[in-house]
Formats: sequence, structure tokens, C-alpha cells
Amino acid sequence: MEIAYALKHPVNLSLRLQVRGFTVLLGESGVGKTSLLKALAGLIPAQGEPFAGLPPERRPVGYLPQHLALFPHLRAWQNVAFSLAHLPSVQRKVQALAYLDQMGMAELAERYPREMSGGQQQRVALARALARRPQILLLDEPTSALDGATREEVFGGVIERLRALGIPTLAASHDQWLAQRADWVGVLTRQGLVQQGPPEVVFTQPATLEVARLVGLRNLWPGRIALLGEGWAQVDSSLGLLKAPRPAWAATGQPVWVGIRPEEVFTDAGENRLRGQVQSLRRQGLRLRGKLMVGAVGLEFLLPRYKEALLGLTEGQWLEVALEPRYLHLIPAEAA
Amino acid sequence: MSDPVFWQTLRLTLEVSLVTTLILLALGIPLSWVLAHKRFWGKRLLESVVLLPLTLPPTVLGFYLLLLLGQNGPIAQTLGFTWAFRFEGLVVGSVLFSLPFALNGYREAFRALEPDLIQTARTLGAGWQRVWLEVILPLTWPGILSATLLAFAHTLGEFGVVLMVGGSIPGKTQMVSIYIYDQVQALQFERASEAAAVLLGVSLGLVYLVRTLEDLWRSRMPSSTR
Repeated sequence: MEIAYALKHPVNLSLRLQVRGFTVLLGESGVGKTSLLKALAGLIPAQGEPFAGLPPERRPVGYLPQHLALFPHLRAWQNVAFSLAHLPSVQRKVQALAYLDQMGMAELAERYPREMSGGQQQRVALARALARRPQILLLDEPTSALDGATREEVFGGVIERLRALGIPTLAASHDQWLAQRADWVGVLTRQGLVQQGPPEVVFTQPATLEVARLVGLRNLWPGRIALLGEGWAQVDSSLGLLKAPRPAWAATGQPVWVGIRPEEVFTDAGENRLRGQVQSLRRQGLRLRGKLMVGAVGLEFLLPRYKEALLGLTEGQWLEVALEPRYLHLIPAEAA
Repeated sequence: MSDPVFWQTLRLTLEVSLVTTLILLALGIPLSWVLAHKRFWGKRLLESVVLLPLTLPPTVLGFYLLLLLGQNGPIAQTLGFTWAFRFEGLVVGSVLFSLPFALNGYREAFRALEPDLIQTARTLGAGWQRVWLEVILPLTWPGILSATLLAFAHTLGEFGVVLMVGGSIPGKTQMVSIYIYDQVQALQFERASEAAAVLLGVSLGLVYLVRTLEDLWRSRMPSSTR
């Protein structure tokens, strides 16, 4: 499904976005993610396809606002039955229970929203949206109410259920975790939709500096293309001469940003070797995040903890790392 | 309670208050919805006009109504009827006088309602009629009822406006609060104290009911659960 929408208020936004399976629209707050979802649901005026000009009650969309908007005066099954007004009342309850069951919530059918956890409320809201038989589901910040520890458990299951049902879903989020689990990712900035693609491409080959920062490509330093070869480029950078994959747009002498994800800085042998001093080390879950100073440039790395033991890492020590060329990514500098 | 005029007066007062309250419901709900949710040119002026009775001396409001509805007033001359010194005049005065109370209450009730609930209801296939009947009214009725009761109680105790526009004709346009004043003027303290006690009881009962409804209403609002 392709979405082509243009809206003026509350943000000026015009975009063309593919929705493939579970799609995440990644962006910081204020760039218009919520407005786009509301426009798609018919709640704010906009032009575009699909559903052009229809009032919200006639659009085949399932819309979940950030706070879910379950009706507080209705039980879980009555919330779902709200979408089933076209059925006779006996069938309404049967159908509502079936939709709750689909989301694994049949046992809580008689509960009021305030008697449920955030994750449970979310599933009831999904059941209610699915009861509309939507052509597309619109989720606004679906992981914002879930904490990191339960996110995987609670929302990972939801994504799998939605995939199994085969309903195209567009989730607006600033959550990298969610975007990494998507089938397709679009990146929205103040400049508009700057990139879309499968998450493994967006996360490893961000098109602009802004996208790079959004997807956690934290190591970025300036350089200039010195030499172009078959499939590779030699970059003269503030970390010295480095070999990197050759982008289609590359030209000799062009200023670029060189980037690599902290988890792809290796301590094993390889090309693009660099030597620096460990400036800081801190634990991040079961991994170790550190900063290596190579001259004046700081390089973040993220190592599994067996490496810590193997290398006997301490702050202040000298360490040699390799920036594997295929994990290096070049961004044209004017795109910044 | 031996004075038959008192019972006539109380009955008239309750009738005026009831009719006034029903008109306020019909007028106030759409008006307060518009004031709570819509932006339009001249909104601030409209708000100022409907809130004016809060600060305007009741006798001033009553005086202008008397000019408007009286025998030589513009309405009598153009439409040919006179509502001054009649039941209808009392009701018009009471509606204007209690409108700010009702409006403020309704508006608070509507503002406390999450806009998300209404928008989401529409995306779930509900037209405006279902949204009102199944979402807005079930969630806001305690607030609406409490504002309505407050307006009713406020009308019960009215003095200045109804004195000006109604003229305090015993059995016809005399309301309880004016009756009490007249009894005191006539040194009939026993009658005055009986009437005052009735008003005190009714008012206290109504305010107690309003407070109860407010608590109920707060407990229903989604903002208190999330």
C-alpha cells in the first residue's frame, strides 16, 4: 500500500510512503508523525490517497492514539462491540469476544479499562480497531507506555499477531527498538520523509546525517574521498585513510561523513586498523560501552562482556580496533 | 406555614426555576460545546456577553429587561406582546441571570473529556449522534447534572432581576426571596423565618447533591485512571 498525503495544519507536510507489513514511521516529536496518522484517519483536513475526502466514520482504518482512548465507562468487550454497531446485539457480544480472543484478551472481557495494565489496554484497543475490519492499522507511539523490560515481551507478541493477520500497519514512533523489528521503515524529519527502506538498510546506510543520528549511528567524523576503486572508496578522514564501500554518488574530492555503529567496531584483526586510548567504560546491560580516543576523535564501541575479560579492559589503556570496511558508511557532507 | 400566599409563592418559584433550568439545558449544552471546542471570530465577545450577569448588578439586568419587555418596549412595538410582570418575563430574566453558572459547569464537563475519545469513536464508525449518545453524555452527565442543579438553586434564590422584571405581584410574580423581604418589612418575622428555613433546606440539599455528583464525575474521567 502506498500513502501519498499532503497536509498544511498543524504541520506543513507532504510525503509518499510505502506501507509494507509492519511499517514504522520513525521521527522525533514535532515532525508531524501524529498529524499524518490523524490525517489518514480523517481527523484533520488533508489531501491524498487512499481514503481521500471520506469522513472518519467511513474510512476503513483502525486508529490507536498514543493513550489508546478506551472508553472508560465501558467494559473491554463493550469497547470492542462499539465497532460492531451494524450487528444485532446478540452477535455483537459474540463477535467482540472473538476479536478479544484473537488478541489473547478473552479472559479480561468483563473488566473496565482502569482495571487493566497498559499492555492489556493496548491489546483491547487493538481488538476494537481490528473489529472495524480495517485496511490499515494506525498506531501512534505504541511502545511509549511500555518500559524497556516488558517491551519485547508485550509488544513483540503484538507485532507477531499483526503479521499473522496480514494487516498493513503504520506505527509512528521515535523508538529505535520498534523500528528495528519492522518490515519497512520511513524516516520523517523537518525536511519531510528523507528515507524509507527495510530496517537493515536504514539502520546501516542512513541517507543523511540526521537519519544517522536518529537510527543510532553514533560514530560520525568528517573526511574527503581520496580515491575511487572498483566497489570501494578510499577516504582521507580525521581518523586517517580508511577503506569503505563505494556509494553510487561518490566522486573524488567530495566531502563526506564517515560513520560506523558502536556495535560494529571490532577488536579482532581486520582492515582499517586504528589505535587509541580507552577514555571511558560503562556497563550497558550485559554489554560494555566505551569510548576510544583516536587523536582528537572519540569512537564509541559496544563489546560483549567476554571481550572485556579477554582483553582485560581498563580505562586509560591503549587498544587497537578494526573498522571493517563493509560496516563503514559514507554520507555526502552537503546532506547535512 | 399558615400563610396560603407562601405556598403559592413557593410553587411559582419552583415552576420558574424548573422552566428556566430546562431552557438552560437546551440552550447551554450546544452553546458551551461550541465555546469549549470551536474557535471563531467574535468568540471572546460572545463569552463576555453570556458571562456578564456574573458582574452586572441584578437590578441593572432587570432594568434593561423591563425596558425591553415592557409595554412601550421594542418587543411590544414590533412583535406585539408584553412579558414584563408575567411568568414569561420571570423566566427570561432567570435564564439570562443563571446562564453563566450553567455554561461554566457544562464547559468544564466538556473540557475534561479527552478529545481522543471523541475522535477515536468516530474512527470506529460512529456518527455524531452515536458519539453524543454513547460517549459524550455517558461520560459528562454528572457534570452536566451538577451544573444544572446549581443553576436551579441559583434561580430559586433570585431577587433583583425578578423584582425589577416581575414587580413582586403576590400569587402572580412574587418569588420566595422577595416574599421573605416583604414579610420582614411587614414585621412578620415568623412567616419570614419559616420561608427562610424552607429555602435553606432546599439549597443545602441541592448543593450537597452537586458535590456528590462532582465526586462521581471525577471518578469517571479517564484522566484520573491514566
